[in-house]
Amino acid sequence: MPLSPIVRPVLFALVSIALVAGSALEAVAQKRGGVLKVGNLGEPPTLDVHWTTATITEVLANHLYEGLYSLDAKSQPIPMLAESMPAVSKDGLTYTFKLRQGIKFHNGKEMTSADVVASLNRWGAQSTYGKTLYARVAEVRAVDKYTVEMKVKEKTAIVVISLAIPNNSAAIYPQEIAEKFKPAEKATEWIGTGPFKLVEWKPDRHIKMVRFDDYQPRKEAASGYGGRKIVHVNELLWMPVPDAATRVAQIETGELDFADDLDLNAYERLKKTAGVQPIVAKPYYWLVGVFNKKEGLMTSQKLRQAWQAALDIEPIMKNVAGGHADLYRMDSSLAFVENAPWHTKLQGLPWNERNKEKTKRLLREAGYKGEPIRFMTTQEYKWMYDFALLSKQQLEDAGFTIDLQVVDWATLVKRRNNSKEYDVFTTGMGNFYDPTHHIYLGPNWPGWTNDEDLNRLLSELAGETDYKKRFALWEQVTRIFYDRVPVARYGDLFGLRARRSHVKGFDTTLMRPRFHNVWLEK
Amino acid sequence: MTTYLLRRLLALLPVMLVVVTIVFFLIHLIPGDPVAVILGPEANAQQIEDARRELGLDRPLHEQLVRFYARLLRGDLGRSYFLDRPVTQALWERTEPTLVLMAGGLFVAVLIGVPSGIVAGAYQGSWWDRGLMTLALLGVCVPGFWLSLNFIYLFSVRLGWLPVAGYASVFQDPVAAFRHMLLPAVSLGFSQSALIARIARSCMIEVLRQDYIRTARAKGLAERSVIYLHAFRNALVPVVTVIGITMAILIGGAVVTEIVFNIPGLGRLIISAILRRDYPVVQGVVLVTAAAYMLINLVVDVVYAFIDPRIRYV
Repeated sequence: MPLSPIVRPVLFALVSIALVAGSALEAVAQKRGGVLKVGNLGEPPTLDVHWTTATITEVLANHLYEGLYSLDAKSQPIPMLAESMPAVSKDGLTYTFKLRQGIKFHNGKEMTSADVVASLNRWGAQSTYGKTLYARVAEVRAVDKYTVEMKVKEKTAIVVISLAIPNNSAAIYPQEIAEKFKPAEKATEWIGTGPFKLVEWKPDRHIKMVRFDDYQPRKEAASGYGGRKIVHVNELLWMPVPDAATRVAQIETGELDFADDLDLNAYERLKKTAGVQPIVAKPYYWLVGVFNKKEGLMTSQKLRQAWQAALDIEPIMKNVAGGHADLYRMDSSLAFVENAPWHTKLQGLPWNERNKEKTKRLLREAGYKGEPIRFMTTQEYKWMYDFALLSKQQLEDAGFTIDLQVVDWATLVKRRNNSKEYDVFTTGMGNFYDPTHHIYLGPNWPGWTNDEDLNRLLSELAGETDYKKRFALWEQVTRIFYDRVPVARYGDLFGLRARRSHVKGFDTTLMRPRFHNVWLEK
Repeated sequence: MTTYLLRRLLALLPVMLVVVTIVFFLIHLIPGDPVAVILGPEANAQQIEDARRELGLDRPLHEQLVRFYARLLRGDLGRSYFLDRPVTQALWERTEPTLVLMAGGLFVAVLIGVPSGIVAGAYQGSWWDRGLMTLALLGVCVPGFWLSLNFIYLFSVRLGWLPVAGYASVFQDPVAAFRHMLLPAVSLGFSQSALIARIARSCMIEVLRQDYIRTARAKGLAERSVIYLHAFRNALVPVVTVIGITMAILIGGAVVTEIVFNIPGLGRLIISAILRRDYPVVQGVVLVTAAAYMLINLVVDVVYAFIDPRIRYV
């Protein structure tokens, strides 16, 4: 029944009042104030996010800095410091970014195009993702105070996504800082436009951030790492607690409000602790054995295929996840389920085959005579050691001879750059937001994948801008991946974090924690 | 005495030089790369090489050693690769927690160790002796981390009496500092008290067998006077040596306690520095620890003269 012209405005007014009242109630519910104590596993090497890919830097620094773009809940780029998505010229070679006006840095200075140009140029010379993008960039210049223009040498799909990814990110620094510290030199002044500002860094004690009162949130609702960011707490105190058992005890007693990177074995105990809510962090890493394809035994594709065919992945994952089925996932896609645009559902891939006959045949075809394969791992990350140890057992049952070399992390990351020192090493792969960012598919990362077909497809992916065509190319990459086996993909392992019940508003779907929009209800 | 002290102090210099040189080579010889750790898992070889050049790590080892000596002569221990601050500053920031922990641990160790050893020695073969020595044996055998974790579970998680971990400065909040330091000091002191107790016991037994003790007893002195006035002081010299060694151990060796209780001291600093291959920090901590060892030994030698008037230094 259509509403009468008199009823309609009244109804509209009533609905409006209800919505406003609802917002007001929500505002009352979101208490302002308090100190949020977060326990993490250690000290960041720097807060210069251009400089390192270290996860801990990413987590902390993204509270201080923002880039032109961010990622929403579906891992899609959304504007952050840019007013909107860029205007792209018809030939696809010029990107014009309009900046939001009146955005302040923590030092009180207004952000302008000069800051953006200086920051992007520094990021492009140092960051892993920046370098990839800048290989295609011809020029970045300020058009006016609030407009920046980027010219690329050839059409590419990776401009906006590269500016949006949170790791080693294209954070905007004040021009004077971006120019003062050379790209290869760590910045030691940490001033951004983010919702928190740094007030104190006492190594091994705490990193103290406070609410940035001049922060101007976006109007769009919060989504993923972007949207509206409101800081409810007065202070965010990051406390490095290297011992995992201590972090668990501190969250149990309430000394910490939030604890990250917990031992998966603590899951049951935390579930039973009153006042504590364990959070399964998805995605975390997919486990991977990276083959040395530059020299040595694993240059043989047949041998790599044999490794892949031998693995029975589920028991390995279950064991690594402490026996908890909700802490791991069996998936063969190279992009996580959570990274919906790039998650593939291809059938019939030679993954988790558990096929001893095939393994033996491939070993014969590879001419393998039982030479020891140097498999390098570390106990500093328990999950790496666990899956290496279980793999060794399975592989030896199938006919391999594995020389498991357990070293510390610093040794592993040094040795993996030297092709003479290993055949396989363990690590984990995080979330790559664009197919061209999967480092293990290219020739510049340890393991040195240098496959003609993969290189060609990745080059086409970088140049193609149509999503459907890109996805089809990505599926081809996935099929070739499982044929050439540059690395052995195991399952997805999840992380464990925990919060006290009085910590409200935390977005549990994020891969890395963020504390804007979080409040304390004590 | 003054000449003796000066001679001992001067002797520190060559020893320190040898120590830092050995440590320099050891830390550089073990595999691992500070830059690869700092740059994170997704950094490629080119980025690592660029950063190595920036930090001077691409230079030959002998050149790095000469630079290290040159800086040392100027009193400069270098700059931490990871912490991005001078090593001297990093050391200074962590001295207070380590000294407080050392003092607390030592206090507990002496408080438990000396009386237990004296009583066990004085009443050799008694139930007191057996009970206390069994406890001392436990102290030696039980790993420090196990004891620490169980203390945390009982007193912090179950009973909620004390904080799990962390550190509060004695100068800013003495009550919080005491609450934070109680469990670490007890768990550290308990294991160290075992050694003190065993040494004190054997010294006491030896002294009590001396002729002058028999004479004192024959004179009709009360057993309490025999033990505390005559035997105790003479049994003290080796005990002071052990206390000195314990003190030195606690300066550089409270690593596990500092990590489990999350105390930002020198022990935790050196472990993280080794794991990150932060060479200047490792060298700095070793230098300070070595100096502390030698100075404590010197102080112990001087204390001997006060305890036993027969000891003279020229």
